[in-house]
Amino acid sequence: MIYDKNKREIKLDRELSKLDNFVLEFTKFLSDYVIVSGYVSILLGRSRNTEDVDLLVPKMRLEEFEILWKKIHNAGFECINISIVSEAFDMLNEHAIRFYKGIPMPNIEFKMIKNNLEEYSFKNKIKVRMGKEVLYVSPLELQIAYKLFLSQGGNEKDLEDAKYIYELFKEKLNKEELLDFVSKLDVKKEFEKIK
Amino acid sequence: MNINLEELKNDRQRNSEERMKFIEFWAEYVRTHSDKEWSKQQNVIIDSQIEHAHNLVKKKSS
Repeated sequence: MIYDKNKREIKLDRELSKLDNFVLEFTKFLSDYVIVSGYVSILLGRSRNTEDVDLLVPKMRLEEFEILWKKIHNAGFECINISIVSEAFDMLNEHAIRFYKGIPMPNIEFKMIKNNLEEYSFKNKIKVRMGKEVLYVSPLELQIAYKLFLSQGGNEKDLEDAKYIYELFKEKLNKEELLDFVSKLDVKKEFEKIK
Repeated sequence: MNINLEELKNDRQRNSEERMKFIEFWAEYVRTHSDKEWSKQQNVIIDSQIEHAHNLVKKKSS
């Protein structure tokens, strides 16, 4: 695994899992997106599984969403929440909708970007190159701090995800950026646990 | 039934510390081994769970 932080690119020579193939199949229908949360650490080697993959897309109009909806459905994906495109779009404006293929696990948690943090993730995303395949994931510094924030709810899994990415990339992380997010998200106590 | 809450809390704390140690160990393993090598091992966990879910659905529908 090679992380070139100037190019914001990670080169991975991994064998693809069924989960990776599922994500790659879905993301090929998207021109712009960023993957956030648990799957990022899994893609980069964390030894655990997940039920869902969190994916953020820029705001889109109903017409754009309808085209995407058709493409996704033609490829065999279904929406867990609802089967009517206009209602799915309304739902998407409020919160996430989920897509699956065949069985509900794993599924894609599909969300439109709604806040500054999500916007930051999208604008500063990292390209993960796996041979000819590419996925875009959130910046590692934000990923760590956000997972620490989620761990405040008492979930060990989130703390461990943060720890894993920190351990894996600690020599290459932008410390200033990381500490800034740690401070802004008020997770100094949690950060001490993973250092 | 008498429950020794202190003992349970200590166990939980120990378990949490051991898990963190394993995360450190695994991150080091990933850093020092080829992507092909660690991903093969990781895929055993990931693929088997997905296969299991598929098999359950097949079983239920047959």
